[in-house]
Amino acid sequence: MRRARPLLESLVAVGIGLIAGGALMLPFRYHPLKAYQALFQGAFGTPHDVMETLAFATPLMLTAVTFAVGVRAGLFNIGAEGQMYIGAIGAVFAASLLPLPPGLHILVATLVAMICGALWSLVPALLKIWRGVHEVISTIMFNWIAFHLATYLAIYYLAEPGRAERTRPALPTARYPILAEGSTLTAVIFVAILFCLAVYFLLWGTRMGYEMRLVGENPEAARYAGVQIGQALLWSFLIGGMAAGLAGASQIIGRPPAWSLYATLGNVATLGFDGIGVALVGRNHPLGGILAAILFGALQHGGRFMEYHAGVVSELVRAVNGLIVITLAIPELWTLVRRRLTL
Amino acid sequence: MSGFLSRLGWIVLAILGLGLLAYGLDQVGLEPISLLEAGLLAMTPLALAAVGECVNEKAGVVNIGLEGILLITAVVGVWVAEQFGSGIAGLIGGMVVGALIGLVLGLLAVYGRADQIIAGMGLNLFALGFTPYLLMSLWAFPGIHIFPRELMVPRWITPLGQISPVTLAAILLAFLAHILLHHTVLGFRIRAVGEKPEAVDVAGVRVDGLRLFTSVLGGALCGLGGAFMPLAWFGGVVKEISAGRGFIALACVVFAGLEPLLALAAAFLFGLTEGIAYAVAITPGVKERIPFYFVNMLPYVVTLLVVTLVIGRRRFPRTIGRPYTRE
Amino acid sequence: MGPRIEMRGIHKVYPDGTVALRGVDFRLGPGEIVGLLGENGAGKTTLMKILSGLLQPTRGEIRIDGRPVRFRNPADALRAGIGMVHQIFTLVPPYTALENIILGQEGSNLWLVKDRARDQVQRLLEEVGLSIPLDTPMELLPIGVQQRVEIAKVLYRGTQTLILDEPTSALTPLEVDELFRFLRRLKEGGRSIVFITHKLREVLEISDRIVVLRNGRVTGEISTREATPELLAEWMVGRAVVPRVSRSPHPPGEPVLIVRDLEVIGDLGLPAVKGVSFEVRAGEIFGIAGVEGNGQSELAQALGGLRPIHRGEILLDGKPLPALTPIEAYRRGIAHIPEDRLRFGMALNFEVAENSILSRQWEPTFLRGWGRLDWPRILAFTAALLQRFQVIAPGVRAPARSLSGGNQQKLVVGRELAKEPRLILAVHPTRGLDVASTAYIRELLVQMRDAGKAVLLISADLDEVLELSDRIAVMYEGKFLGVGPVEAFTREEIGLMMGGIVPQGRAV
Ligand SMILES: Nc1ncnc2c1ncn2[C@@H]1O[C@H](COP(=O)(O)OP(=O)(O)O)[C@@H](O)[C@H]1O
Ligand SMILES: [Mg+2]
Repeated sequence: MRRARPLLESLVAVGIGLIAGGALMLPFRYHPLKAYQALFQGAFGTPHDVMETLAFATPLMLTAVTFAVGVRAGLFNIGAEGQMYIGAIGAVFAASLLPLPPGLHILVATLVAMICGALWSLVPALLKIWRGVHEVISTIMFNWIAFHLATYLAIYYLAEPGRAERTRPALPTARYPILAEGSTLTAVIFVAILFCLAVYFLLWGTRMGYEMRLVGENPEAARYAGVQIGQALLWSFLIGGMAAGLAGASQIIGRPPAWSLYATLGNVATLGFDGIGVALVGRNHPLGGILAAILFGALQHGGRFMEYHAGVVSELVRAVNGLIVITLAIPELWTLVRRRLTL
Repeated sequence: MSGFLSRLGWIVLAILGLGLLAYGLDQVGLEPISLLEAGLLAMTPLALAAVGECVNEKAGVVNIGLEGILLITAVVGVWVAEQFGSGIAGLIGGMVVGALIGLVLGLLAVYGRADQIIAGMGLNLFALGFTPYLLMSLWAFPGIHIFPRELMVPRWITPLGQISPVTLAAILLAFLAHILLHHTVLGFRIRAVGEKPEAVDVAGVRVDGLRLFTSVLGGALCGLGGAFMPLAWFGGVVKEISAGRGFIALACVVFAGLEPLLALAAAFLFGLTEGIAYAVAITPGVKERIPFYFVNMLPYVVTLLVVTLVIGRRRFPRTIGRPYTRE
Repeated sequence: MGPRIEMRGIHKVYPDGTVALRGVDFRLGPGEIVGLLGENGAGKTTLMKILSGLLQPTRGEIRIDGRPVRFRNPADALRAGIGMVHQIFTLVPPYTALENIILGQEGSNLWLVKDRARDQVQRLLEEVGLSIPLDTPMELLPIGVQQRVEIAKVLYRGTQTLILDEPTSALTPLEVDELFRFLRRLKEGGRSIVFITHKLREVLEISDRIVVLRNGRVTGEISTREATPELLAEWMVGRAVVPRVSRSPHPPGEPVLIVRDLEVIGDLGLPAVKGVSFEVRAGEIFGIAGVEGNGQSELAQALGGLRPIHRGEILLDGKPLPALTPIEAYRRGIAHIPEDRLRFGMALNFEVAENSILSRQWEPTFLRGWGRLDWPRILAFTAALLQRFQVIAPGVRAPARSLSGGNQQKLVVGRELAKEPRLILAVHPTRGLDVASTAYIRELLVQMRDAGKAVLLISADLDEVLELSDRIAVMYEGKFLGVGPVEAFTREEIGLMMGGIVPQGRAV
C-alpha cells in the first residue's frame, strides 16, 4: 500500500492532465476522444511504435534524473535544458571530429558529453554554495546562455560543410547500434537505464546518497550529523549535469537518422524542461522516472500521430505535461481523492 | 534603509558602467537616444512582472510562473487586439487573463496548499506547449504571427525620444506599489501576512483574501507586461517571445529584496543591457565583429552577475512560499 | 448569575484523523479565573482555539449568555469579547509593539496613520497597568515583554474573556508573579480568564476553579479551595502519583568535561555565551537551569561541534579539544541529544533505520567498500536499538513520522546513548513528551550517571533540573549566576537567579 499510493496519485494526475488537455481542444473544435485515440494508437499501435516511444523516453528519463537528484538534495535544479545542449555539443565534437577506434569512440563521446553537462552545472552549483544564489535563477540564465553558445558553436565550428542547418554527423564509429531495422531506438537506451539504476543505487545504497537525501530532507539535521552540505549539493548538481549531458549525447550519437545537432537545437530543445514533469510524475525517483519517461515518450511519439490524424498540434502534449505538474503540486487533491475512494 | 541605499548604489554603478559602454558604442556609431528607447522598452515587461511579484512575495506567495504568464498573455493579447481591432483592448485582455491565471495560482496556493514552486513551474511548462498550440490553432501558422500594424499601441514622441505609454504606466505602477506597501492599511496588512499569517488571522483579517488579492494583482501586472511585448514593442508574437524574461523579473525581485522601486531600477538595468545587446546586433561596423550570439547572452550574464554580486543579506518574509493553515 | 460562556459536548477531529477532543463540557462565569489543566496533548489548546474561533468543532455547541453562537473565525470571537493569547506568539516580528497592537484595527481604511491609534493604546496600557515600549520591533524584545504586547493586543479589541495558553512557560518566577498580579487586577475589573497550564503549582495559585483534561475528556472539575495536588495529579495522568526518578547518592569521579572561560557568538553576531567555566565529572549530572534564550542553546551547540568557539577552552578527559565538528565531537566521546529533535535530531521522512544511524552514517561499522551502506547490519542495529530503548515503531523501515512524539524522542535518545559516550549532552530531553516517556528518559539519564558517565543536562524545566541534577548552574544572559550542589539552593533562590538577581550571600 505504501508503494502503491504514489503510483495511484501519479496516475490520477496524468488522468486529470489529459482531461484538462482535452478541454483545451474543445474551443478549437477538435475532437478530444478522437485525438487521444489517435495518440495512443500512435504510441503503442505497432511494435515499431513501441520502439519509437522508447526512443523518445530515453532522454526524458535522464533529464528527469537531473531534476530528481536535485529535489532529493533540496534543490530545484531546472538546468537540465542547458546542460543537455552543452552535452550535445560535446558529443558532436567528440563523435564527429575525434578519429577513434570503434567501441572506444562511443565510450569517449558519451563521457565527453557527460563531462560537458557536469561542467555546465558547476557554476550554478558554486554560486549556490558560495553566494546562495537561488538555483532557479542561475540555472535558467545558464540555460539561455547555453542556448546561444550551443547555437554559435554549432553554426561556426561544428557545422557540416555545405549544410548550415545542422552539425557534422557523428562518425559511424561513435554511433550506438540501432536495435531494429527502420527504428530510431538504439542501444543508448540501455546506457540511460543503467545510469538511472546507478543513481538509484547511489541515493539509497551509499553514504553519499544518504547524506544528499538528508540535506534535502532536513539541512539542520544534516549539519548535526556532520554532513558537508556544500559537498552534497555539489554532487547533486554534478550528477544531474552528467545525466543531462548523457541525455544530450543520446540525441546525437544515439538517435538516427540525423546523428547530429540541428542548428536550431530543434532535436534537443525542451527535452530538459520535459524532464521536470517526468521526474515529478515519477515521484523524483530514478526508477519511477523510467516508467514516467515511457509514458511521456508515448505522449510525444503519439502526439505526432495525433497531429497527423486529428489535426491537433502535437505541442499540446507539452501543455498536458504542465497541467500534470500543476496537479501534482496540490497535496489537498490527494486528500479529496482519498476521501472519494474510501467513501 | 542602508540596505536599500547600498542596493541603489549598486544599480547606479551598474548603470554608469553600462553608460560607459554606451559611450563606447556611440564612438563606433551607435545612438544613445535609441539605446535609451530600447532600454525603456525592454524594461517595461520586466518591471511590470517584477513589481507585481514584489507585492505578492511580501504577502508570502511566490509565483515562479511569471514566464508562463508572459507567454500566454502575449498571445492572448494579440488575439484580443485583433478581435476588437484595438491594441489597447489587447493590453486589457492580457491584463485580465494574467489576473485570471494569478487567481488560479492563488487559489491553488491558498486553498489547495499547493507547493508554489512546483505549481509555478507547471505553469511555465504548460505555457511552453500551450503557446505554440494557441498560435497554431488561432492563426494556423506555426511558431509566429504578425498582426496588422494599426493594432500597435502608438508611442508618444518626446524631445528625448519615443516612449510607450505602457512604459510610463509601469513606472507609475512601481511608485503606486511602493505607496501601497508602505503607506496604506492594506499594505500594512500585506507585509504582516507574509511575516506572520497567524497574527493577521487572530486580528480578524482574512489571510486568504490578502493573498488572493496580491496573487491576482501580480498576475494582472505580469499579464500587461506579456501583452505589451507584441502590441507595443515587437509587432508580432513568436512562440518563445518572453525568452526567459519571467525569470529575469524574478531576479529583479530577489535583487530588490521585494521593494518595488528597487525592482524598477533593476528592471531598467536589465532592460538597458538588452537594449545594448539589440543595438550592438544591428549597428553596422559592430555587428560584424561581435558574434550576434554572444551579444544575445548579455542580459542573462548581467542578470547572473548582478544577482551574485549583491545578493548579500536580503530579508525575505518568514513564511514565503508556505501555505497557512489553522489546523 | 449563570455562566457567561458555555461549551457543550465539544468534539474535535483534526483533518489528519487525530481525535483531540471527545465530548468536552466547559463553562466560564464572569469575573472568574478558570485553570485548564492537563498534560501535553490532552487537548487544552484545541479546546480554547475552538472557543476563540480559530478552529471549528467537529461536533458540539457554544453558548454565550445562553444563546448558541457559531464562530467562523477569530474575528467573530473577538466581537463576542473572547480573545486568546497563544502559546506560540502571534506577533509580527519586524513590527513594533504599536503596529502589532493595532494590526487589524488601524483606525482608518485607506492610509496608515499609526499615531491616531497611539493615544488610545497608551490609555489602555495605563488603565490595565502594562508597561511596553511601543516603538521597538518585537524581534528585539525579550519574551516577557512580547507576552505583554500579546495581551495588550487582545485587550485592545475590547476583550472581556481572556484565554492564556501556557503563559508561564518562558517566564522567570519573578515575571510569573508579576503576571499573576496583573491577572488578578483584570479579574477585579470584571474580566474572566482561562489559564491553561500543565503545572499544578500555578493552577492552584491563580485560579478560582480548575478543570482537568485528559486525552480529550474532562476528568475532573473542582473549586480551587477544595483541590489538592494529589487529586489533580491523579486526574491529569490517571495515576495517583507522577513517578519520580530516584537518584541514589553516588560519588562522582574525575572531571570528564572542563570548560574554561568559554565565549560563543550567537546568530545575531553578538556573544551569547559570555565566559562560562564549569566541569562535569564522571558519574554526575550537571544541570543548567534558566529561562530559554540565555545562551544555553549556543553553549550546547558549541560543545556538540555545531558552533565555533570564540574564546576559551574545552577539555575532555584532560585533553584540550580542537575546533570541533559534530563528527569530531562524537569521535571524542560526546553524545548530543539536540534541543529540538524535529529540527536537528531526525528526518521525519527517513526510515526509522536511517534515523538510527543519523550522525553515524560515516562510521565504518555501517559501511562496506566504496562508501556503500551495509544495510543488513544497519537493520540489525536498529532492531536492537528499538528493543533496548523500548521504542515502539511499526517497523525498522517505517518512516519516522509514523512514530509518536515520545517514541521519536526515545529513538533519538537511544541512538545517542548507544554511542557509548563519555559525556552526554542532553538538551531539553523531555520537552513536550507524555508523562511515561518523560519518566523513562529521565530514568535513562540517571542510569547513565550511575554507570559512570558524565551528563550535562540543559533544561528550561526547573523541576527537571532539580530532580535529576547532582550539581546545578543557573544561566542568565550568557553567564552562570550560581554554581553548586543542588541541595545548596532553594527553589526561590534559583527563581531569582533565573531573573538575573543574585540573592545575598551568593557569590558566583
Ligand atoms: N494541527 C494538528 N493536526 C493534528 N493533530 C493535532 C494538531 N494540533 C494538535 N493535535 C493533536 O491533538 C491532540 C491535542 O493537542 P493540544 O490541544 O495541542 O493539547 P495540549 O494543548 O493539551 O497539549 C494531541 O494529540 C495533538 O497531537
Ligand atoms: Mg497546548
